[in-house]
Amino acid sequence: MANRLAFVDPSAGGKKETILLAARPSDLVGKVVGLLDNTKEQADIILQTIGEALCERYGVERVVIRRKEHYSKPAAVEIIDEMAAEVDVAIAGLGG
Amino acid sequence: MCSVHDTVEFEKRGIPSTTIVTAAFRKAADFQFRGKGMEGHPYVVLPHPVSNLQPADMRELTMQFVDEVAGYLKS
Amino acid sequence: MNEQVDEFEFFLEKDWSDGLPVVTPTEERIARMLTGTKRPPDEVIGPIPPAMEIATVESVAVHALMAGCKPGYLPVVIAATEMMLRDEFNVNGVQGTMHGVAPMMIVNGPYAEEIGIHGGNGCMGPGFRANAAIGRAIRLILMNLGAGIPGVSSMTIFGMPSRYTYCLAENMEDHPWDSLAVSKGYRPDENVITMAMVESPRFCFDDVSDEPDRLLNGVADTMVAMGSWNMHTRSDMVVAMGPQHAAICANAGMSRADVHSRLCEIAGRKVGDLKNGGNWRRERALAFPIDVDPDDDDSFIPAIKDPQDLQLIVAGGWGPCTAVCHGWSGGSRAVHGSYQV
Repeated sequence: MANRLAFVDPSAGGKKETILLAARPSDLVGKVVGLLDNTKEQADIILQTIGEALCERYGVERVVIRRKEHYSKPAAVEIIDEMAAEVDVAIAGLGG
Repeated sequence: MCSVHDTVEFEKRGIPSTTIVTAAFRKAADFQFRGKGMEGHPYVVLPHPVSNLQPADMRELTMQFVDEVAGYLKS
Repeated sequence: MNEQVDEFEFFLEKDWSDGLPVVTPTEERIARMLTGTKRPPDEVIGPIPPAMEIATVESVAVHALMAGCKPGYLPVVIAATEMMLRDEFNVNGVQGTMHGVAPMMIVNGPYAEEIGIHGGNGCMGPGFRANAAIGRAIRLILMNLGAGIPGVSSMTIFGMPSRYTYCLAENMEDHPWDSLAVSKGYRPDENVITMAMVESPRFCFDDVSDEPDRLLNGVADTMVAMGSWNMHTRSDMVVAMGPQHAAICANAGMSRADVHSRLCEIAGRKVGDLKNGGNWRRERALAFPIDVDPDDDDSFIPAIKDPQDLQLIVAGGWGPCTAVCHGWSGGSRAVHGSYQV
């Protein structure tokens, strides 16, 4: 006979949906890179540096930089939608 | 944290994306990716802290990670 | 093989435990707790970030029960859970931040008194069941449903004692003015909660001043540490004047609004001073919602950038002390609202 717990366990942790990775291009030549800056200190320098280097080293055509309202809040859906319509790949920073 | 959220939202829209965090937030990033259904999603970890680096040093450090970033965005 | 389960060990070993034993949630206790609200158990309150587990009236009741609440406390816990999910409060950010701020609950109105939320001696704890259990219920919700767990999703450097529990009332018996809620436009008979993301208090002791100018200078000094985020971002702050200090101001003819605006006016430091330590960065000053000149050493940086960010209350017992609770850097605005019993 199974031991029946006499109390309720309210611990959270259900099954989560799994999101599939978006298909990657074989290279970044001619691509548009989106850089989403969450305004944390240094995020702007980091993303700008990466953007420039990707253009130089990987043939990225141009970069699109957007800044969020505040580092601790998710980007507004509008910003993500607008960027997604314009870019081929995206980098978000700076977490932490 | 919210850069992870942003990356997940891009991926959902079919846009390859990665996140840049500093090392002190690695566990939080892992947790967030796991919680949003993208466990093990590759992202870039910079040494912590970076907040007190001068711009030139910040750029120099960032350059060390450019190839890694590119690697996560292409096949 | 049947094994005895030690109920206390079971919950103490959970990674969402706050480190203290909980009241074991049995079906009978949950049913009894739910008598404290008229709302249906399956009513959705909202997802608790960052794990986004959905809080319902029932799951809030279970956490309230575990925290040691009586059924009568449940309306306050449910209302506070709802309120803290407002966008502007930014629970999501606080759950992951390196900081240790916690949602301080200031409960005004007749129901707080009825259920025993204490605002006098020792109101910041320990020792008062309603204060302790209501605040703790919120923390258990944040840790379990939200998964705000240090080292897992929370990068809090130190945490903070106020993360165990942070709930109080004002000392209305010795209060020379209206309550915080009334000052925000609520009626005195309305039951209201104000929540602000703040640190544990630091104390301003002053048993010397017998007039407001000098007294408020000291309080203002306690509001302006170099290492406080209040000096470097727009940030909320709670100033809890003990009734003795409040009386000095009131007896000199100052209203609550007078004290509030005086503190907003004088609490601050000059740029030249702030540069010498702490979080000073030019870019931070340029991002203030007020005009300051970060290149002028004589430019005055106020601790309170917007008057609505200062939550001025009267609480605690009789004695020469005011408690100042500094705020967060990450963009949280205090929330307030009335609740039904």
